[in-house]
Amino acid sequence: MQAIEVNELHKRYGSTVAVHDVSLSVRQGEIFGILGRNGAGKSTTVECVAGLLRPTSGTVRVLGLDPHRDRDRVRQVLGVQLQSSDLHNALTVRELVRLYRSFYGDGADPDELIDRVGLTSRRDHRFENLSGGQQQRLSVALALVGNPRVALLDELTTGLDPQARRDIWALVEDLRSDGVTVLLVSHLMEEIERLCDRIAIIDAGRIIALDTPAGLVSGAGLGQRVRFQVNGPFDQAVLDRLPEVTSVRVEGGQVTVRGDGDLLQSVSRALVHGNIIATETRLERPNLDDAFLALTGRALNDDATTEDSR
Amino acid sequence: MTTPTTQPEITARPPGFGAWMALVLAESKMVMRDTAGLLIPIGLPMLLLVMHGISMDNQVLPGTDGLTVMEVFVLPLVITMVVATVGVVNMPSFLSYYRRSGVLRRLAVTPMKPMMILVAQAVVSVIQSVIGIALALTLALAAFGGNLPRSPLVALGVFALTMFAMYAVGMLVAALAPTANSSVAIGLVLFFAMGATGGMFGSREALPDLMATIGEFLPFGAAAEALGAAWAGQSVETTHILSLLGATLIGSLVAAKFFRWQ
Repeated sequence: MQAIEVNELHKRYGSTVAVHDVSLSVRQGEIFGILGRNGAGKSTTVECVAGLLRPTSGTVRVLGLDPHRDRDRVRQVLGVQLQSSDLHNALTVRELVRLYRSFYGDGADPDELIDRVGLTSRRDHRFENLSGGQQQRLSVALALVGNPRVALLDELTTGLDPQARRDIWALVEDLRSDGVTVLLVSHLMEEIERLCDRIAIIDAGRIIALDTPAGLVSGAGLGQRVRFQVNGPFDQAVLDRLPEVTSVRVEGGQVTVRGDGDLLQSVSRALVHGNIIATETRLERPNLDDAFLALTGRALNDDATTEDSR
Repeated sequence: MTTPTTQPEITARPPGFGAWMALVLAESKMVMRDTAGLLIPIGLPMLLLVMHGISMDNQVLPGTDGLTVMEVFVLPLVITMVVATVGVVNMPSFLSYYRRSGVLRRLAVTPMKPMMILVAQAVVSVIQSVIGIALALTLALAAFGGNLPRSPLVALGVFALTMFAMYAVGMLVAALAPTANSSVAIGLVLFFAMGATGGMFGSREALPDLMATIGEFLPFGAAAEALGAAWAGQSVETTHILSLLGATLIGSLVAAKFFRWQ
């Protein structure tokens, strides 16, 4: 049985289609990332999985259960952290964690959990007096307070400073070792790349790629780049015949070679063979950012033309 | 990645009594920490009582077998005010805030049903009303020589109906108000409109006939009249009871139809 199974999900609000067609399945114990720009349909997908929204068509299953029909059973095993959702503003951190703990049959020890998200020193402060990052950490704690078997985390490190972000990532890694399945929504490449076993890239309401981070990068067919500097004239015929090379560009003394396979070694050997002295030789492998750009046609954080996410 | 061969059976475990109590406690803290919100249902009626008390309203009404203005008019009015401010102004402002800020959405993804927050708010509102009324009654009895109602059971029954009616109007406000701020505004306007036509600022007899009649059959005026009758030991007019029942029914139906959880 899959932890999460989404099949041909389609969600429309009036004439606006938020999700066109999303199918994915998350294995138990896996950390699965959904990556996409604001407004791509990430949160809508997650809210359908959480049972907050009813799909216009298509099906959603969490541990084999329908989040609407089997609501009470799903709620026991599903922990959800929603994007931009406030809590009782006049209650303290400790009061809130205890309140939410009381809703579940099984769950974490409130004080231990507060400690794990680094809020012990703030535990008697009211929600309204916490910083954005602290509110975010509390929100993550509440998603985990019922010891869920599946956790949905929507933009979990928004508003956190780099240190707090790493602390929360460590918490998610702990979840992995506890065997908890995590569906992680993010528009932070670093977060996705570090935590996720597999990633779905959503663009304009559709999944346009689904693979491991490494698989996405190699699947984007971007190849590698070798750059080096030469002094004096450079005859690119030295490199043209190499099977690994797909293109060579010379700009002044800067040479950029694109290709695949064992590109660096092959280029180095050819240069030695041709008595060319190259300096500052660098191998550049494409990363997830490059893959995202190649797959969607725009960079991840280029939000200029997208509307606010729901 | 391990695929466990034996899956623990997933069972629904609806939150028990402890969780309900935790939610009621949470709502009580929210209400108690909202000092400004507490001032109106507790402070305003006391102020009204003191103003009437020192202006010699304990004079006996002619032909009533020893009843005072305090008993027949002021106390019923004060009790109605407490219930109305809690139900029509305070409760909807909390509910609208919970909706707008996503508290209801957050609850909706836990085993606790968001509906229970409405119940918890209602419970806390009852407690708040009872405290406000107990304080006002104590003051009236101790300082201004008032007496308990001559038909105490009728008074309790009317009090319960008044709460239902006012909370239903409050739910209607929460359901129809687009934002938390507008819910406070709408609640206050409704409260003052019902209060003004229901005798809060002086006898309804001073109002134009039409307004006086409308005011009598809005829940505020009806509650004050019915409580006054219970105080005097007279029978409560059926129309006043029907008015309270009608407000309860209409408020609940509209709220059930239009209340948005997010």
